This record gives sequence, C-alpha cells and structure tokens, in this order.
Amino acid sequence: MTGQLECQLVVGAILFVLGAIGFLTRRNLILMMLSAEMMLHGVAVNLTAFGRYHGNSSGQVFTIFVLTIAACEAGLSLALILGLYQRRKSLDVQLWGNLGEPDLPILSAPEESRVEPQHPADLPQLTPAGAMPKTPTQPFSQKV
Amino acid sequence: MNSLIEQAPLLAPIALGILAVWMLLPREGNRAWVIAGLCGISALLWLTKNFLPPVDNAVQTGMFFLFGGGAIISGTLMITEKNPVYAALWFAVVTLSTCGLFLLNAAPFLSAATVVVYAGAIVVTFLFVIMLAQQGGATGYDRKAFQPILASIAGFMLLACLLFTLQAFGGKAVVAADGEEQPVARPQFVLPPANVVSNPLSQPQPRRDKPDQNDLGTLQGVGRSLFGDYLFAVELAGTVLLIATIGTIALAPRRSQGTL
Repeated sequence: MTGQLECQLVVGAILFVLGAIGFLTRRNLILMMLSAEMMLHGVAVNLTAFGRYHGNSSGQVFTIFVLTIAACEAGLSLALILGLYQRRKSLDVQLWGNLGEPDLPILSAPEESRVEPQHPADLPQLTPAGAMPKTPTQPFSQKV
Repeated sequence: MNSLIEQAPLLAPIALGILAVWMLLPREGNRAWVIAGLCGISALLWLTKNFLPPVDNAVQTGMFFLFGGGAIISGTLMITEKNPVYAALWFAVVTLSTCGLFLLNAAPFLSAATVVVYAGAIVVTFLFVIMLAQQGGATGYDRKAFQPILASIAGFMLLACLLFTLQAFGGKAVVAADGEEQPVARPQFVLPPANVVSNPLSQPQPRRDKPDQNDLGTLQGVGRSLFGDYLFAVELAGTVLLIATIGTIALAPRRSQGTL
C-alpha cells in the first residue's frame, strides 16, 4: 500500500517535470498550454495517491477542483491564443518577445521570416504627427 | 563529494534523463532516436530499481507499470514531437494513462470524468485550434526548440530535488512509543503525520449503509465529501467557471475584426 504511494509520487513528479520542460522549450503557444495541462496531471496523480493513502475522498475532491480550473484555463487560453494569432498570423511565442524588458539579453537569434504585426482594422489608429506648428507671435489672450 | 557519490543511484538516472530529453527535443537536422531512447529507458529502469513497489499484488504492480510507464513515455514523446497535431494526440495518451492511475487509486468516477473532460473536450478543442491556425503541419518554430539544454537541465534538477526529498523521508527511523529509535525494515517513504488522529479530514470515512467498510472509491463517498466537507469550495468553483465563461466570450476575437 505504501509502496504504491511512493511510486505514484515519483510518477507525478516526473510528469510535472516533463510538463515544465515542455513549457520552457516549446515555442508553439498551444503546445505550451498542453504542457501546462500535463503539469496539472502530475499534481492530480499525487492528490489521488495521497487520498488513497489516507483512506478518504478528499484527494479526489481536490482533483475535481483541479479539473475545473483546468477547464477554465483551457477556455481562456484558447481565446487569448486566437487573439494573438489574429495579430501575427503565427503561433510562435517568440514573436511576442518584445513585450519583455528591452535591456534583457536575447537568448536566441532572430529567425528567418518574422511576420510584421497586422493590426485589425477597427483598432484606433492615431494620425501621424506632422511638422511642429509655429509658435504664435502674440499670446492668445491678446488676440482679438 | 562523498555525498554526491552516495547519491549516485539517484543522480545517474537524472543525468541519463537529461541526455534523453535533450537529444529528443526538436532541433535542426537529425535526432539520435536510438541513443536517446536507450538512455531514457535505462534511466526509467534504473529509477524503478530504487523506487520499486513491493510485489504483493502482481496484477496491481503490472498495471501500475503499464499506466505509469505509458504516461511518462508518451509525455516525453509529447514534448519532443515536432508536429503539434501528433503532440496533442500524445497528450491524449498521457491523459488516458493518468486515468488508469486514477483507477488504481480507487477513483473510478474521477477517471471517467477526466476522460470526458480532457480527452473528450480539451484535446478536441486544442486540435480544432491547431487545425484552424496551422494547417501546414510542423512550422519553423516547431522544428527548433528554445534553449533545450538549459531547460532540460533545470527541469531535471527540479526532479532530482523532488526525488531526493522523497528519499530523505524514507531514510528516517520510526520512533517507538518508549522513545527508542527502531530502524524500519523497509524504509517508509512518507511517514503518517503525528497528529493524524486529531485531524477529522484525514480519517477513513465508513460507509453509511455498511459501517464496517471504508467508502473510499464509491461515488457515495465522493459525493458526501464534495457536497459536505467542501460545499463552499464547490460554490466557488461554479463562480470561477462562470467568470471564465464571461471572460472567454469577452476575449474571443470578434467577427468584425476579420476571420483567422
């Protein structure tokens, strides 16, 4: 019985770590989200193993809550991913690297063809600024 | 240094695992499939030698190896797969293996719910998005991983710390009632907490209709715990789901902004 607990904790730890490596290395936004879900699987295995060890259902109930949060996360992340895809026409997460601090070192060389950002049509666009207007020769208060 | 050599049974599979994952991660050119696979399988076997379950129930141990090994191997294949569609399918295999582990942990309802929610809904939705956004299969950013060496070393160092902590629990001797330390025959992995008697949530709950049996694994037990002990959390989870629904609708791209 306890032996089962040890091995399941090890399996949960390995699943968590594999998910973390996938989240760090993959550059596809969808695969990053799937790796995060795999980390949640590792946690769920741990929870049910401890629930069985203690002989009650609390671990299963916690896992049901994890499932709920995972469903919320999947919905929100897919909406965000679709929004990001619409801007850049690509799922590459490194196209959004300019959201970080500008003085941090860039760990990878820029790739072959970066797609220029395409703004949707109905975003507010400011008109480009022209030449600087001349300063008035006399103050406004003295104008007739 | 001596302590490092002492921990060799733990560190060697970790090093082999780093090698395997690093060689399998997508890169330009060919990947050394055979060497990486041999490294990974030997790391897993080495790890099972240390953390072998006691063979008291051959069927249960075999099913544990089937599901646990399946989860780990298909998880590795998922994070190293170049084509995102295949990666999503491998993730479905990870989910099914995890559901097998849930069954071993006496959680049949949770197993069925996970199959329905994950393999039936989440994976299919992710596949929809992949098909919508990326019809051409693997693209340039899928063929080259981002910092594979750093990431695999960092991840497996985390794994080494976790396994070392779990191992350190097992080395402890049990203090008997008269204060004399007795070394345990088989080091116990996780000691039950000392105040387990006083914690009502950590007690086995008897079945209502058969008080001499434990209600672990019955749907009745899950329901009583869910709507009895954790009713407030259930309401909170419902609220979170509602908020997430509203947020998803608000965030989703409008049709007026053009199609994908």
